[in-house]
Amino acid sequence: MWERTLQDLIRGLRANKKDESKFIAKAVDEIRKEIKSDDMELKAGAVLKLTYLDMLGYDMNWASFHVVEVMSSPRFHLKSVGYLAAVQSFDQETDVLMLTTNLLKKDMTSLPTDVSVALNGLSHIVTPDLARDLSPELITMLTHSRAHIRKRAILVLYKVMTKYPEVTPQAVAKLKDKLDDPDPGVVASTVNVLCELARRNPEDYLSLAPQLFHLLTTATNNWMLIKIVKLFGSLCPHEPRLVRKLQPPITDLISTTPAISLLYECVHTCIIGGMLQGSSGDSLARMCVSKLAAFIQDADQNLKYIALLALVKIVPSHPHLLAEYQDTILSSVNDQDISIRMRALDLVSAMVSPNNLQSIVQQVLSHLVSDTSSSTAPTAAQSLAQHTIPGSPTTTHISPSQSPAYRLVLSQRILNMCSQSMYENVTNFEWYLSVLVDLAHIANVDIGSQIRDQLVDVVGRVRGVRRYAVKLMYTLLCDDTMLHNARDEGSCSEVLWAAAWICGEYCSELSESQKLLPYLLQPEIVTLHPDIIAVYIQATSKIFGYWAAEIAQRWDDDDLQEAQSTVELILGRARQFVSSSDVEVQERAANTVQLFGFIQADLKAYKPKPADNPFSEASSSFDPIGGEPRFPKSLYLLQPLHEAYELNPVALTAQASVPIPDGLDLDAWIVPPPQEPVVAIEPDYEAKVRKIKKGKAKEVNGNKVKNGKKKHKEEGNGVVLITREPDDEIENAEERERVRRIAERRERLRDDPYYIMDDKPSTSKRVDDIDSIPVVRLDDMPSLAGIDDSRKLPSLKGDYSSPTSYVIDRDGEMPEGAVAPSPQIATPRTLSRQHTPTPISAFPQYEVEDEVRTSTPEPIQVTRTKKKTPGKKKRTKDSSVLPESSNP
Amino acid sequence: MIHAVLIFNTSGVARLTKFYTPLHQSSQTLIPKIFSLICSRPATLCNFLDAPELEAFLGPKGEADERWRVVYRCYATLYFVFVVDGAESELGILDLIQVFVESLDRAFENVCELDLVFQFDEVHHILAEIIQGGLVLETNVEEIDNSVQLAAKLRKESFASANPLSLGTGVGGAGSRGGNLKTPLGWLTGKITGGRAM
Repeated sequence: MWERTLQDLIRGLRANKKDESKFIAKAVDEIRKEIKSDDMELKAGAVLKLTYLDMLGYDMNWASFHVVEVMSSPRFHLKSVGYLAAVQSFDQETDVLMLTTNLLKKDMTSLPTDVSVALNGLSHIVTPDLARDLSPELITMLTHSRAHIRKRAILVLYKVMTKYPEVTPQAVAKLKDKLDDPDPGVVASTVNVLCELARRNPEDYLSLAPQLFHLLTTATNNWMLIKIVKLFGSLCPHEPRLVRKLQPPITDLISTTPAISLLYECVHTCIIGGMLQGSSGDSLARMCVSKLAAFIQDADQNLKYIALLALVKIVPSHPHLLAEYQDTILSSVNDQDISIRMRALDLVSAMVSPNNLQSIVQQVLSHLVSDTSSSTAPTAAQSLAQHTIPGSPTTTHISPSQSPAYRLVLSQRILNMCSQSMYENVTNFEWYLSVLVDLAHIANVDIGSQIRDQLVDVVGRVRGVRRYAVKLMYTLLCDDTMLHNARDEGSCSEVLWAAAWICGEYCSELSESQKLLPYLLQPEIVTLHPDIIAVYIQATSKIFGYWAAEIAQRWDDDDLQEAQSTVELILGRARQFVSSSDVEVQERAANTVQLFGFIQADLKAYKPKPADNPFSEASSSFDPIGGEPRFPKSLYLLQPLHEAYELNPVALTAQASVPIPDGLDLDAWIVPPPQEPVVAIEPDYEAKVRKIKKGKAKEVNGNKVKNGKKKHKEEGNGVVLITREPDDEIENAEERERVRRIAERRERLRDDPYYIMDDKPSTSKRVDDIDSIPVVRLDDMPSLAGIDDSRKLPSLKGDYSSPTSYVIDRDGEMPEGAVAPSPQIATPRTLSRQHTPTPISAFPQYEVEDEVRTSTPEPIQVTRTKKKTPGKKKRTKDSSVLPESSNP
Repeated sequence: MIHAVLIFNTSGVARLTKFYTPLHQSSQTLIPKIFSLICSRPATLCNFLDAPELEAFLGPKGEADERWRVVYRCYATLYFVFVVDGAESELGILDLIQVFVESLDRAFENVCELDLVFQFDEVHHILAEIIQGGLVLETNVEEIDNSVQLAAKLRKESFASANPLSLGTGVGGAGSRGGNLKTPLGWLTGKITGGRAM
């Protein structure tokens, strides 16, 4: 018999590329036989082959016991195979790991080669149990005579500490000694482990600073220096004195070291370690930025990448230092390397200010444009970039701008840059709105809903931009392309939601609003998402309402024709949606049909009056004498429905800040819960309830429903029991009758295959309950049904522990909740209608504009949801026009 | 810390996969993903792979954690990919890849892809002399080479003592450098020396 060796297997794989799975299935069958063999060599060979197949993605968990067998072989070449297989295939859940404790103990006291194989293996497969059981051996091994073993033991110790933290104090004390080890490799390994540990709990390792400082100033091994510098980067933020102490040697290293990796780590540590603060830090900061800026301009792309990485961290503290290099950084956004672009995007978004936002956003936007529509001429930089990489594989590979994930990142970045800190950096909102619309057209990724939210939010918050917004949205609605592509992925058709909503809500800003109606009602809108259709229908009604009121104001009998035809049109379209499968669309369409049906009837009935009184038209639309208006009355039907209230953004904490009126006790029961007489009457009732509650807490599917029902019945029974207490005689008669009926019923069901008879005694009780409830209530107290219901209500709703949730609700309304609200952007959902004249306006700082607008657009102001004390909130709108608006 | 070391060739076939941190998603989906991103990158670009597609895998895992980075280098037909976190120096890892490749080169004398294919266990042993459990063990090529040679010699001796009659070199024919497998001739010698008649 000729067993396949690993090499035969690999050769076979290479020869059978077409039929790989079949070949492997055959090979695995062979392996299954070989692995059970008594011959250790054969077993090890099988395990090795499995390990190879594991790399190709074939499962080898079934063989883990055999792996342990091979690990336990005394022969070194077999043991290595076993450990390799274990390292590659075992995980924390592998059950045979329990068997390895003694094996590892034995191997760790064996020959040095066995020890190092065991230590290497342990560092991969260590579990909390193994860590606990082996840590004493490992700690003694730190003083092993061979440096190689000491190094391995130190590194394993790190893994052991992560799995079994209890050993940490003891281990760290030993590690501290290892910093003075004669072997530089051991010291480097110790620093390495300490660096990992200090990243997790920096405070615990501050005491090592003197020793590390000594190493920093004396060591020459760059690998270790990098790690020490990194280690100090974690320690510095927790010890200000360390910063002062470190500044000289680090500055020295920065200016002298020839190793760029070390130089970079020094700069990085200066930044994250907070060494750039204060007067002495300023020159260091300047030096760091100039070094990094040199990296960005370097031909080596790697340096460019890491420089961007570090600069992101310096922006928050020293933005002024970077301004000088803004052009360089911006040009990195155009880099053909997506890694660099991503980091440059990070940096650029961190650098955004009111002065550069527009140029940055436009540049980012241009990335999205240039690749989707080839018709637009590429910018000089882009065409240059295309020419600088001739003949390279770039010609075949997809440009990074076309990867959807990257486009999504770009689009999200644009939105974030503009909307961050409540539009802090946006100075021109008309510009921002057009950016949003452009983005919707070119993004070609699924970002429509975010753009929609932004549009609504901006228009809701920035009063001054509404007229422009409505105009913009009007063109968007008139544009067919978005409608036609609505079904495509990445069409951003959600923007139409915002467009329709804005045009509807602010239709007073439209000059000839009725002209939009045909667009809102065109048949093609059926392709849109139902949510959008619903908004379209609603917007139609709003616009008509406004327009109708408008023509009523200046009524001319010639308008009748137009009004009639418009109503006709709306009715015709809305009727189609009455049978929509979407509930929201259906309901809105039905409402619309009814309202417009009324208007239609009114218009039909309208008889133009002779216009003999020219004054009435000029003075008032209502005829003061006759009490009859000159126009069809129904034209005023819709407007008040939509415009009675103004829509304002509401602070997140507004609800919580509403003061509780005097005399309102939120703790009082609205409906007092029934007393718990049940316990007294039916001793085992309580036990049952407890059982039920337990079932509820578990939330077992199906069971929950059943339990709920059961409970319902039983509580019903409880109530019933109280109420029927006075009627004992009726009760007795009834009891007998019921028992008889139950018996009958059980008899009937006994042979019925569809019923499973439960023999538990509790069953009869349950059945008993079913019968009792309606009978008693119907017979005894029909007139009290309402009371009965109300008594049952709290218990029906749920268990008795529910009052705790009330408590939480109430806390939400406490003024304390409003003390420290986080300012957040309101989504469209948080917009809510507020009655204009009510004194409790959530947005006191909202700018109120004059009705008269000049032709030049006024400066646009942002309102910001700020921390507000409840007291401030109560101010009227008019009294607080300016002071809090934070205009950048 | 180093979370993974991967080697795959320019067609995306894995030659070595070593995960020091268990992955949430299957390695079998990750490797093709990384490969497809890396192979489309011209050699002139930087050695750090940063792509929105990898965000789910590389993004910050916890509060204090920094995002992971993919550092890679291409040698002839092979990509060497290291996945590391913020505790490692980016440029340092690039050097470490070089150290790894140099060590392979010493052990295999002019290493090529086929060495890695047929002696994948040996590659693992070499890697184990450089990185242990995700932490760097040794960076000096001399030291690494000595340890590798020593372990290989011991394996060979152990094998020889267990199989006194065999001409082969280790379990399943793999081991230290027995058959030169780079050429068809090497394949033949491998065939002759590798198999064990039972």
